[in-house]
Amino acid sequence: MSAVGRVKLQGIVKRHGNVTALHGVDLEIAPGEFFALLGPSGSGKTTTLRILAGLENANEGRVHVDGADVTDVEPGERDVAMVFQSYALYPHMTVYDNIAFPLRMVGTAKSAIDSAVREAAAKVRIDHLLARRPGQLSGGQQQRCALARAIVRKPRLFLLDEPLSNLDAKLRLETRVELRKLQRSLDVTTVYVTHDQEEAMTIADRMAIFMEGRIVQVGTPDEVYARPASVDVAGFIGNPPMNLLPGRIAADRLHIGDHMVALGRDLGAEREVTVGLRPAALRAGPTGLPAKIDLIEHLGDTKLVICRAGESMVKMRVDKAASFRDGDDIRIGFDPGEIHLFERQSGRRL
Amino acid sequence: MSRRALRALLLLAGASVLLAVWAFPILWGLLTSLKTERDVLAYPPKLIFEPTLANYREVLFGSASILPNLWSSLVVTGITTILTMLLAVPAAYALARLDLPGKRSGGFYVLATQMLPPVGLIIPYFLVLQRVGWLDTYQGMIAIYLTFSLPFAIWLMVSYLEDVPREMEEAALLDRAGRIRTLLYVILPQVRGGIAVTTIFVFLNAWNEFLFAVVLGGNRVRTVNVAMFNFISVEQTLWARLAAAAMIAMAPVIILGLLAQRHIVKGLTVGAVKGGGRR
Ligand SMILES: Nc1ncnc2c1ncn2[C@@H]1O[C@H](COP(=O)(O)OP(=O)(O)OP(=O)(O)O)[C@@H](O)[C@H]1O
Ligand SMILES: [Mg+2]
Repeated sequence: MSAVGRVKLQGIVKRHGNVTALHGVDLEIAPGEFFALLGPSGSGKTTTLRILAGLENANEGRVHVDGADVTDVEPGERDVAMVFQSYALYPHMTVYDNIAFPLRMVGTAKSAIDSAVREAAAKVRIDHLLARRPGQLSGGQQQRCALARAIVRKPRLFLLDEPLSNLDAKLRLETRVELRKLQRSLDVTTVYVTHDQEEAMTIADRMAIFMEGRIVQVGTPDEVYARPASVDVAGFIGNPPMNLLPGRIAADRLHIGDHMVALGRDLGAEREVTVGLRPAALRAGPTGLPAKIDLIEHLGDTKLVICRAGESMVKMRVDKAASFRDGDDIRIGFDPGEIHLFERQSGRRL
Repeated sequence: MSRRALRALLLLAGASVLLAVWAFPILWGLLTSLKTERDVLAYPPKLIFEPTLANYREVLFGSASILPNLWSSLVVTGITTILTMLLAVPAAYALARLDLPGKRSGGFYVLATQMLPPVGLIIPYFLVLQRVGWLDTYQGMIAIYLTFSLPFAIWLMVSYLEDVPREMEEAALLDRAGRIRTLLYVILPQVRGGIAVTTIFVFLNAWNEFLFAVVLGGNRVRTVNVAMFNFISVEQTLWARLAAAAMIAMAPVIILGLLAQRHIVKGLTVGAVKGGGRR
């Protein structure tokens, strides 16, 4: 594990006029971690990244890197490299000059620049394109060029803002894996912004989930998947995300409509809740929540059965061999252990 | 005849008429400049005559040579252009990028100065220059020329600079280039075309300027546009020489125009297509 690249954000507030983009963000990232900032559009991920880079100033709060307060340090002095969503390559320079630029700016010796550029280009496999201009590269090659420019000077912090969003689906999957390997081999703390939960789940060591300018949960992909901290997170994570149904609990009983489930633990006084159930945790059986099949989506090796249970829509993921038809009346069963419960009012996990 | 061919023919005819209207005075001037004063006054006008370069010889090297005036024009225009560009590029960069207070109203002021009729300014300018003793001096002329060329150049450059993606500049800042080197190595190379176009327009505006030159200049600083009027006097007008001088004064304009044609057309349409002209 690398020793540098520890990040700490404390109470970051960012306002744009009367819009508050961030309402007090606290975050700690360990050295060498691949850390994802995940959230829907407009939730403040880019803003957080830009504050970390020093491209924007926070209205309140402090930014620490490796124990030093860098809140007021210029972006160039923070020793961070960033890959922008648009790549921001310099169009009038060759790939070689693009990659060499950060080294030239700090006066590295010519011979050292040359070997560093070639090494970085080889790492991202664009060493045969060094003489071209960015305009003569494909989207994927441009993205690699931007990566090479970022890794060439071995920064202590590597910031990526949706670096894969301009690539087609297949290339995105491939690059995702490569990016992960690259980060492992470089052992640089990496902060990765994405709105694609699947991307974050597969690539990150840990992640922070943003909602409306706040971090609502921090954890490993497994933790976030297993125990979403709120209804919002539950509705965001997973493909498709979990089903959310209105319910009511009293002591150790859960009522969903007329259906009753024994929870096996006492949750106290009677109140309204939101029930979360993963599509993959559901199965059709002789007993369970009564529902009617609306539509069946074929996903290759599985099927998604979309049904109506009372007022709510429920998605159930089943084996492709399972035989269901539109309009069938079924009963949806699940283990009590698979139930996620959230307070109706606050949305917090129970 | 097919409709397409007809259309092409009509377009060609239209274009020829426009070209003729535009080119006629210049061709007429060119012919006149090659005639003797006697041929000029012949009626009906002679289309076939014995061309002579005497007029050119006379206006360049004769008693009323315009060479000193060409020099004056060149000095005033050249220095105005250089100063304008040196000041306009950083100013435009600041306006395009930094969050300066009063940026909007400042930008409007810049534009508004372009709309004032110059006649309205000439008396105040005259009085100011007279007070500081700069009438009929290069510094006086250049100072006044800057008042119209600078806003124009800033306004034009802002639109070019705003087209450079902000992220590119931020990338350079993160790469430790600093503001100055970011401007020099990353931003300016991308607005080369814009700088060329602006420079040419500024040069042409200054070179063609007449009103301020007449009123604020004098015996020491007399630009070629003003000097041409020496060929018009109460007793007689030396049309052929006037035409020759006009041809000479127009030469830089036409040469620059031809050289920069590609740039200008590209420059005028920049931003029309997103991402156009980025390479
Ligand atoms: N310069 C700005 N002026 C005003 N509001 C802004 C500005 N930049 C960002 N915002 C607002 O701040 C909020 C957070 O924006 P941010 O770009 O961080 O979102 P994001 O999570 O990166 O979203 P996306 O996934 O769409 O990129 C948004 O509501 C946005 O409208
Ligand atoms: Mg963003």
